[in-house]
Amino acid sequence: MNIDTVKNFTVEDYQNAYKNEEISPTEITQLFLDRIHLLDPSLRAFLTIDETGALQRARELEEKKFGEAEFPPLYGIPIAIKDNICIQGLPTTCGSRILSNYHSPFDATVIEKIKKAGGIFLGKTNMDEFAMGSSTENSGFGPTRNPFDPNRVPGGSSGGSAASVAALEAPLALGSDTGGSVRQPAAFCGIVGLRPTYGRVSRYGLISFASSLDQIGTLTRSVQDSRALFSVISGQDDRDSTCAPYPPFSSSDCLPEDEIKKMKVGVAKEYFSTGIDPSITQRIQEVLNILAKEGFEVVEVSLPHTDYALEAYYIVAPAEASSNLARYDGIAYGYRCHHPLNLQDLYTRTRTTGFGKEVLRRIILGTYCLSSGYYDEFYLKGMQVRTLVKKDFEESFEKCDILLTPTTPSMPFKFGEKSHDPYQMYLTDVFTIPSAMAGIPALSLNCGYHQHLPIGLQILGAPFQEGKIFSFASFLEKILSIPPPDIGSIHSKKEVF
Amino acid sequence: MSAWHITIGLEVHCQLLTQAKLFCQCGTDYIGKPPNSLVCPVCLGLPGSLPVMNHYAMQLAIRTASSLHCQLLPKVVFHRKNYFYPDLPKGYQISQYDLPIGVNGYFEFLTQGEKKQVRIKRVHIEEDAGKLIHEGINLPENSSGVDFNRCGIPLVEIVTEPDLHHSEEARDSLIALRDLVRFIEVSDGNMEEGSLRCDANISISSHPDQMGAKVEVKNMNSFRSVFRALEYEIDRQKRCLEEGNCVPQETRHWDEINEVTVSSRGKEDAEDYRYFPDPDLLPYLVQEEVIQQIESSLPELPLERKERFMIDFELTEQDANVLVQDKSLADFFEICIQELNKPKFIANWTITEVLKNLNALDIDIKQSKITPSSFMELLKMIDKKEISGTIAKTILEEMFQTGGRAKEIMAKKGISQINSEKEIEKIVRQVIEQNPQSVADFLGGKEKAFHFLIGQVMKTTRGQANPDLVKSILNKELSAEG
Amino acid sequence: MPETISLSEIKKVVALAKLSIPDIDLEQFFLEINDILSHFDKLNRLELKEVSPTSHISWSQPPSNPDEPREWMGGEELFSQAPAVIDQYFIVPKVVDKQEE
Repeated sequence: MNIDTVKNFTVEDYQNAYKNEEISPTEITQLFLDRIHLLDPSLRAFLTIDETGALQRARELEEKKFGEAEFPPLYGIPIAIKDNICIQGLPTTCGSRILSNYHSPFDATVIEKIKKAGGIFLGKTNMDEFAMGSSTENSGFGPTRNPFDPNRVPGGSSGGSAASVAALEAPLALGSDTGGSVRQPAAFCGIVGLRPTYGRVSRYGLISFASSLDQIGTLTRSVQDSRALFSVISGQDDRDSTCAPYPPFSSSDCLPEDEIKKMKVGVAKEYFSTGIDPSITQRIQEVLNILAKEGFEVVEVSLPHTDYALEAYYIVAPAEASSNLARYDGIAYGYRCHHPLNLQDLYTRTRTTGFGKEVLRRIILGTYCLSSGYYDEFYLKGMQVRTLVKKDFEESFEKCDILLTPTTPSMPFKFGEKSHDPYQMYLTDVFTIPSAMAGIPALSLNCGYHQHLPIGLQILGAPFQEGKIFSFASFLEKILSIPPPDIGSIHSKKEVF
Repeated sequence: MSAWHITIGLEVHCQLLTQAKLFCQCGTDYIGKPPNSLVCPVCLGLPGSLPVMNHYAMQLAIRTASSLHCQLLPKVVFHRKNYFYPDLPKGYQISQYDLPIGVNGYFEFLTQGEKKQVRIKRVHIEEDAGKLIHEGINLPENSSGVDFNRCGIPLVEIVTEPDLHHSEEARDSLIALRDLVRFIEVSDGNMEEGSLRCDANISISSHPDQMGAKVEVKNMNSFRSVFRALEYEIDRQKRCLEEGNCVPQETRHWDEINEVTVSSRGKEDAEDYRYFPDPDLLPYLVQEEVIQQIESSLPELPLERKERFMIDFELTEQDANVLVQDKSLADFFEICIQELNKPKFIANWTITEVLKNLNALDIDIKQSKITPSSFMELLKMIDKKEISGTIAKTILEEMFQTGGRAKEIMAKKGISQINSEKEIEKIVRQVIEQNPQSVADFLGGKEKAFHFLIGQVMKTTRGQANPDLVKSILNKELSAEG
Repeated sequence: MPETISLSEIKKVVALAKLSIPDIDLEQFFLEINDILSHFDKLNRLELKEVSPTSHISWSQPPSNPDEPREWMGGEELFSQAPAVIDQYFIVPKVVDKQEE
């Protein structure tokens, strides 16, 4: 068995191979470790590779015998984990120098769940520092490349996770999404990215950026795999006050084909305004035509506050971040500046040298928006706009079952192209931010290519309607028949469809 | 000579009597424990940790607000108070801002014999910070040590309106608040151990309608310190104003050793705490049933109970006061009254004999062997004159020792009141015969002799003769003599 | 909504956030943040008087903990990676302003 054999494998395929004893978890784990050793020196998706731990875990799994009924749902599946999710004993850096030496003394809830489900952790992936960014260029340890084009960004902030899955360094990965950080890199890397309903996956062990917006999401090569991973990580957790009291997602929430065909597909005019790369608009329109031919009813809706969501987000998120990042003070863990002269010096020098520019920028912006005299002007307004954005979606979902939008306004851009102007970088999240503000679920799916670069299509649903999203996405995936990315090596530009 | 108008308000922090911390399940008995041994990712604020509220702590906070007659807010909303200090691991404290547990309450207390009411501005719940040490065996020079054990301990903060006008009043109100939180069992209220802390705000002006500059005074670690610090401040501010200067608005701390207040060093402009709703903690709706249950389980406050005893049972203030000091004793008393509606009589016996026995055994009523029922059995016999007070006292003492009931003890010890006139007559005549001098003295007009003779009768009968009968029979016999 | 934040205001905010940015870099931040803030002006076009703020995305009553203590055994792992620990105290430069004790 080699990497080509598994390039179109789903979790189900791996499990069948295990059950039929065609392959073992150790062999599969070694396969992916070899793949990482081959590609990652150029791709740079990983910050930590846990070779010893992964193989040991694989061996432990093999020693246990599982009957059909109790076969763990992720048995022997290697997974890459974004480096802002805590795994006990491994580094958790958040892509930041201020945590470059930090080892979490506890596991995140999602990690505990994946362990119990038989998953194997390959390592921790690269990201924009503290999840602040849309290109992974803000990582304190150097950027990750887009597997489709080494001169382009993989997106961010979950760039490492997305690139590793697209390049098949890992079959599955976890990322985090605050304003689009799972969906946008999924679009840029041609894979499936899910942002769950806010509160559907525990944040315990996810290092906070903006607490009311952060969610752990899945990055996978198929909709089916997204569903499989989501079923394991979702569900109530009493250690997270914001986690909703719902059981884990179950495939019984998905719809049969005849029900899927009855779904009304909403299209919001605000997502098709000017400023979008024409190749994206064109491709999305083609998909809509295909859907119309399949008999779907396409409904035009309006989300009038879409145009204000981005600004509101860049008030609320940095404000929460400025508070969440106050704990990085060099006192009990993490980086501490050398020979602090006094307490003040300890604080300011540790934080100023430990944080990168984008993080500093957002801390300053966020602190300002919360400060005395400005709270009403900024933070309060941001929360009020949030109410309006939420309401827009609630009203649209009375008219349609899901909303279909482009995931990003631009194709994957080149390194450095947007780093000179922070606001230009922020604009790449214009289509993913509103749904994050409203707390609704969203999935990005590869819907085609333009000049060898993938185009992402976003499916939005009402709260807790991941079943509808998965059902529709699966159906679309089948019709479009676009295979998962097939990257021979980082430098080859193979035709993929 | 102008009259000074002094206004004082207090901010009191009490550690709540919970087993676990406010947002995690670490234990709360941190005193004497090794540093950083009662911690976890949540109270340490480790990356990725999240807070979850302790339900019982919330109930205790509601209980506190309720006992202070506050209007209770139906939603518990937490805010972050953002500032940097080494004892604050997250760089913010989880507290409450514009939606606290309770607002607009009041409480009454006694100061210098008078009842005084202080309005309560607000009661809210928040987490405590850690501790710093500045000296230690192995502590390097120019270092401090941080211990996070105390981080996350639940505190309730009580803020009064500036309704206090003297240092005595301020001190007495603090003592009364301490008594209250102990009485309703929400806190140990111990200033020495730090489970009760107090900051004061004080301002002075020469005009009753004007408020002077507000000075905050911190670091007062005992009731005496509070009194002395405020006295010092009043003096200092008066002198300042008399010299024609303005009193700067600032924070000062009390220096216990030199007995002065000192301006807090290095304080920049007022800290900007950037309060905003904590996004990690969803608003918690308190159900109406929970509030009602808390309110109905509140014991009647001592001051209120004392007044009720004085009005309903016509007890003196002194007697009522003694009874309400120990809630269990007051409860005991009220149960007893249900069996016999003679409150003054029962109060008298409770305050004198019951307390005497409790003190002798060094226990409180809860630990004693008597019950309201057994006590009242005895008291009813006294009331019906079946036994004398003297005998009853002996029986009661035995009851405290053995837990037995009055009638059993009387039977066992052969104690019973002699009520037979014939028998008493016999003994009276005997005593008269044996004490001719006393008889003569009585007949000669000495009252004391009569009491002596009664005493002799009682001695002969070992106190068991019915005292009223002895008196009347002795009278009869003596008048026959004379 | 003010269109610009002044340099002195930025300096105050920088101090509040316990950062110390050299003037040369501060100039750059000043320009960038002012640019970002200028976009926020757009929000003034909205009528927000009657709009209640969404401070939390909340679907239900949150969980709460029972009042039962539990011991955490991870202390060793924490001490082993602390920047400065002596006798289980985390060591910092001497704190001068004694707010407590």
